[in-house]
Amino acid sequence: MPSTAHIIHADLDAFFASVEQRDDTSLRGKPVIVGPGVVMAASYEARAYGIRSAMGGAKARRLCPHAVVVPPRFDAYVRASREVFAIFEDTSPVVEKLSIDEAFLDVRGLEHIKGTPVDIAQRLRREVRERVGLPLSAGVATTKHLAKVLSAAAKPDGLLVVAPGDEREYLRPLPVEKLWGVGPATAERLHRHDLRTVGEIALLSEDDLVAIVGRAAGRRLHALAHNRDPRRVRTGSRRRSFGSQRAMGRGPHRPEKLDAITVSLADRVTRRMRAKGATGRTVVLRLRFEDYTRATRSRTLPRATASSSEVLAALRGLLDAERETIDERGITLLGITVTNLARDDGQLELPLDEPSRAAIDSAVDRVRDRFGTRAMQRGALVRAGDRMAPWLIPGLDGVEPE
Amino acid sequence: MKLQTSSADLLAQVGAAARVASTRSAVQALSGVQVVAADGQAELRATDMEVGLRVPLPATVERDGSVVLPARLLLDVARVLPASDVSLELRPSEGDVEIVSGSARYHVRTLRGEDFPPFPEAGDGSVVRVPADAFVATVRKVERSASKDETRPILTGILVSASGSDLKMVATDSYRLSVKETKLESPLDGEFEANVPARALGELARLAEGADDAELTVARQENQVIFSVGGAVLASRLIDGQFPNYNQLLPDGYEHDLIVDSEEVRAVVRRMSLMAQKNAPLRLRFSEGELTVSAQTPDVGEASESLPVPFAGEAFEIGFNPEFLRDGLESVDSEQAKLRLISPLRPGLIEAADDSGFLYLIMPIRLNV
Repeated sequence: MPSTAHIIHADLDAFFASVEQRDDTSLRGKPVIVGPGVVMAASYEARAYGIRSAMGGAKARRLCPHAVVVPPRFDAYVRASREVFAIFEDTSPVVEKLSIDEAFLDVRGLEHIKGTPVDIAQRLRREVRERVGLPLSAGVATTKHLAKVLSAAAKPDGLLVVAPGDEREYLRPLPVEKLWGVGPATAERLHRHDLRTVGEIALLSEDDLVAIVGRAAGRRLHALAHNRDPRRVRTGSRRRSFGSQRAMGRGPHRPEKLDAITVSLADRVTRRMRAKGATGRTVVLRLRFEDYTRATRSRTLPRATASSSEVLAALRGLLDAERETIDERGITLLGITVTNLARDDGQLELPLDEPSRAAIDSAVDRVRDRFGTRAMQRGALVRAGDRMAPWLIPGLDGVEPE
Repeated sequence: MKLQTSSADLLAQVGAAARVASTRSAVQALSGVQVVAADGQAELRATDMEVGLRVPLPATVERDGSVVLPARLLLDVARVLPASDVSLELRPSEGDVEIVSGSARYHVRTLRGEDFPPFPEAGDGSVVRVPADAFVATVRKVERSASKDETRPILTGILVSASGSDLKMVATDSYRLSVKETKLESPLDGEFEANVPARALGELARLAEGADDAELTVARQENQVIFSVGGAVLASRLIDGQFPNYNQLLPDGYEHDLIVDSEEVRAVVRRMSLMAQKNAPLRLRFSEGELTVSAQTPDVGEASESLPVPFAGEAFEIGFNPEFLRDGLESVDSEQAKLRLISPLRPGLIEAADDSGFLYLIMPIRLNV
């Protein structure tokens, strides 16, 4: 066990809402919802009324009728995120970006130049506050998992540290839901066995846990409950997937609209993949229903691809198969992920009669690189209106809450 | 419906039918096998709406009727039956089928029979008889080149054409193209051309390999083709659209024509492929009198091996997907293969050197990307 807690998990508080409050002083101290429709972010004042991210707009307004709803400004969020990450990079050479608003930093070996991990975390919070004007919470621990648990517990605008040796003591009284990977379904299974705290889980053998929640989850929970998390902070773009999603309000959504959203998501994700020279074999469709349950469906293609039309065709197949479920349960979010990544292998194609997909993709990419994302649209999207446009802003990597 | 059959027959026939049953249709009945007993005979049917299959089930029928059972489950049950005999009986009031073998007793709920489509009727159109061995051998030569990518439906088929004494099949997934022309011993009693899903032909080949019939029959119709062999009937939808004009894909000429020992090259490629993982290409470097095959995968390792080949001219290196290259080399029966190349970014051709009518065109991988 390392002699100091050297992993910092840094997480911006209510990121989109905080940017809005920073830029519009009239919003400060007020419940702010970044919407419209599904809540993309809620300020802490709004959270006090029980409003949460991903909640339906109507429900949020019912909980807090005087909340201010502002439309998202992705450009501002991307800019703020870049500034914050510049501070992270100045702080430590080992920064692992998790999303637009959170990262792990490994500050091992920096004592002589930058002080103890706790000093560093405090300075990090101060600098983000002073230089970017945003509240940042941080957790400091010996493992990634615990650091993340701590930053969540420290919110809003706080810092929590657990010294080496005290980890299991800290974890013991926490509800099982705080553990990484414990969603409603796993929590429900644990509750059925009267397991509510991490301490209660820690008393079980790995085999017993596996019997309750399954092999993979059981092994992971057993390790986490004993604060065993060997994952290192990894720098750079060791990305394992490309994804994007779009939240929708309640209410029936016509199949054409869902298709238009699927098309725009496929375009956006594959364009980013092509820009990075990446291809992927597995296409995942993610759905969230009106009752907030989720489903994921995936298809693995015969070979890795970054072609818009191939990814789209796979997604359409998956979406078609879910049509009945969507009609029954209502859909509030549609997301896609391309995973099982590989480098583009440079495999050439025979010049068959049909126009080459790669040629079409690369022509569209060039037009968009030069004239902007909106310069060229698919016919299907023109009909759906330009509400899709924000989702096609280049460089919006990581606007994927969760 | 009530019948008695042998556990072995049930397993064999359900095994064939289950391969055709749908694995991901919204219509649950399509994931089932229909057991039909009528006029003292029994048969099993399955379809995913693209391919349909009827296989006879040798059985003693005690009561006519038909029922749809989940294919996967029925197959699992058939695999583990304890006795050599088994009986299946529909219990209409319970909505299940009682399966009894030895002292094991199953009650398997039925799927909605009314959702199960009728088997396609062989309509008008002539029936052509084709030697089963030649047909199967030709399928096996080209099927690996057919695309598995459902987004390019035309390429998931094998273009089959037969007339006179010529049987020809073509398949391509756009990365490689296989053409096999088979000379039949005697002229056919008719002719046909069709783009048949490779999956259907694969199943047909399996059925034919398991049967003793010397011939199979082909009935080409408007939108479908119906094959029969060994008592089994396999119907398949035909693929719409124009199959690529493959003749124009074949280069007019080549820079290099090399006669190589098929088995020697195959063995080298097989050995080197082990080190071409994670999409890494196999590199073929041609220099005066020598071919060096090498592969390298970051964090895994590398390998290289040389063999003499009659190469002359300026040295060059070309990359291929190892699996595609192996598929091509393994489809060459002749002792010697002809390797025809132009340049690192142009297609290469692998041919049987004995005029056995097999061509394999393969696109390279751009190296140093």
